Amino acid sequence: MRRLCAGLLATAIATFALGGAALAETIKVGVIATFSGPNAIWGKQFKEAIQVYVAQHGNEVNGNTIEFIYKDVGGPNPDASKAAAQELLIREGVKYLAGFDFTPNALAVAPLINQAKVPAIIFNAATSAINKQSKYFVRTSFTLWQVAVPAAQWAAKNGAKKVVTAVSDYNPGIDAETAFGSAFEQQGGTIVEKIRMPLQTTDFAPFMQRIKNSGADTVFAFLPAGPATFAFTKAYSENGLKEAGIGFIGTGETDETTIDALGEQAIGLTTAYHYSDVHTSDLNRAFAAKLGELFPKSRANMASMGAYDGAHLIYKMIELAGTDGDKAIEAAKGLSWESPRGPVSIDPTSRHVVQNVYIRRVERDGGRLVNREFDLVKSVPDLGFDR
Amino acid sequence: MIRISTIDIVRTSLGGTGKLLPVAILITCAFAAFWLFPYDLGFLTQMLIMMVFVVSFDLILGYAGVATLGHAAMYGCGAYAAGLFAIHASPDPLLGLAVGAVIGALIAFFSGLLLMRAHGLSLLMLSIAITMVLQEIASKARDVTGGADGLTGISMTPILGVFEFDFIGKTAFWYAFSVLFIILVVLRVLVASPFGLALRGIKDSPSRMRAIGTPVYWRKVTAYVIGGTIAGIAGALSAQITSLVSVEAFNFALSADVMVMLILGGAGRLYGALIGTLVFMTVRHVAASIDPFNWLFVIGFMLLAVVFFLPDGLISLPRRVAGMIGARK
Repeated sequence: MRRLCAGLLATAIATFALGGAALAETIKVGVIATFSGPNAIWGKQFKEAIQVYVAQHGNEVNGNTIEFIYKDVGGPNPDASKAAAQELLIREGVKYLAGFDFTPNALAVAPLINQAKVPAIIFNAATSAINKQSKYFVRTSFTLWQVAVPAAQWAAKNGAKKVVTAVSDYNPGIDAETAFGSAFEQQGGTIVEKIRMPLQTTDFAPFMQRIKNSGADTVFAFLPAGPATFAFTKAYSENGLKEAGIGFIGTGETDETTIDALGEQAIGLTTAYHYSDVHTSDLNRAFAAKLGELFPKSRANMASMGAYDGAHLIYKMIELAGTDGDKAIEAAKGLSWESPRGPVSIDPTSRHVVQNVYIRRVERDGGRLVNREFDLVKSVPDLGFDR
Repeated sequence: MIRISTIDIVRTSLGGTGKLLPVAILITCAFAAFWLFPYDLGFLTQMLIMMVFVVSFDLILGYAGVATLGHAAMYGCGAYAAGLFAIHASPDPLLGLAVGAVIGALIAFFSGLLLMRAHGLSLLMLSIAITMVLQEIASKARDVTGGADGLTGISMTPILGVFEFDFIGKTAFWYAFSVLFIILVVLRVLVASPFGLALRGIKDSPSRMRAIGTPVYWRKVTAYVIGGTIAGIAGALSAQITSLVSVEAFNFALSADVMVMLILGGAGRLYGALIGTLVFMTVRHVAASIDPFNWLFVIGFMLLAVVFFLPDGLISLPRRVAGMIGARK
């Protein structure tokens, strides 16, 4: 009898153990981003940051193996984004979607994730309204309201009275213009002129003249990082605006991946943004070291940080809720952690990251240019969500 | 090189039994694709939409011999028209298609009045310019189009009140295929008609056509409007199936891709347009998933090879091979 009992017990334990083993599964995460063409840098930064996170934290959560699957959509292409999401959800059976560099690519999957109840973590796409399209969207990047408002507050506190805004004429530019303008006027400043510049132009001399003539003491600029910013900052220094005492404040123009190409003319530019790769914290140093070890030629930027924290969030959601989409979203709300960019948390209403916004100045650091942080605005939520 | 006269091609396309074979192949392929790749319906549907678009360009470049680089103008307008119609007027898909077609036709008519007077380089430039103007309008009119964020909020009622758009994309696939099929049938009749023959004549020798009394300009405008109508339908399909329209619908790269697909498959042949689209999109899909950074090389070399060795496109491959075997004997 005793032997029988022992046998039964052994069988029970074995069954339990086996059952436990069967519970562990491979959880797939589909990453939709741009890996080819002129915007391939987004996908590259995302992928490298995810690999750094996996190298640091392993690929297992609660005994489940996490597998990332990457899909290229070749740029802002909502049709391809939707087809990629369909393929990932149906064929690969992914339980989480992630990535999304461009706003239309994120918006295109909203109906799909609503139906499939699959959380989608946005690593970049920065239009506030995206998160309203589905309760399954969570964002780990930033919005223009989130960085432009602190920029305005800081400028107002530091002596700017009359500001001229100069933005690229497309949705993010208009967002930046409205956010900065309203916040600056609230602080008692005046916006003397609002200049909208064509997205494709690289000749900024006429705009510099308008900025000079406007009588402003500071120019707030928003341009996509890359050639446009290069031409703008070049025009800014060549047309003697700095000498004329017109200060510059921007946001993401001095992105780490393009900053060295800007050269000497960039030195001294002031920006308000949520991440600099020389942020002084042990976590950031560890992140930079690991990135340098795995990808010696790479440099971290805001896209890396969006993906790194996005990967962390996905790990956390899996740890707390497994593959149940609704539970995972609930678990993500209010979650807070220490990121290489500083303390962050997920706002329960907007499902967007709350973070510090740093005021930085471009400096030379050895052979490269860096955004050196010298001031900060603490715990800024997405200020554009309710507009 | 074997030069097949225009008359021969027309005769074969008018033949009795030969007429049904490609249709049967097409339907078989659609069913085969549906059963073999049940997980790729989203991608296959995109391919079908692109086929509609490329076929519309075939009529203009392949048949009428008018080379433009702004075919995305009609595609984009059709997409925005269908999207806005679905949001503000009626979510019925077929009505939306009709609206896309009408807008595509209107844009093609008004731009065609100007474009068809131009030739060669100036035509290319003008067609690019018109597309860029439209893109600029779409990106500036944020209140209407959503600008760079894209036009959102498009939702569709079931097709004919019966077939609901499903999650896997079955309905979308058959919807796009039916539209492609109907358009192909219409185009086959059209290119074999006297009008189609006139277009071929204009392509070969406009001055001779003028000499025999054909109103060359108006024939070209008509062809452009028909092409524009179909491009508008393609745009409307994409808007309805993706439920989103972005300013990228006017992208120059789209116009260029369409030309590449057509030349790859064989301009001036309806099925050439289908084969070109199939090969281009499959290679891009497969190559991009294997090596996202360098897949453009593959497309580039493929295009070079086709242009050098098969100037009439991939569709001429069987005939070339047959010709080579025949020459050996």
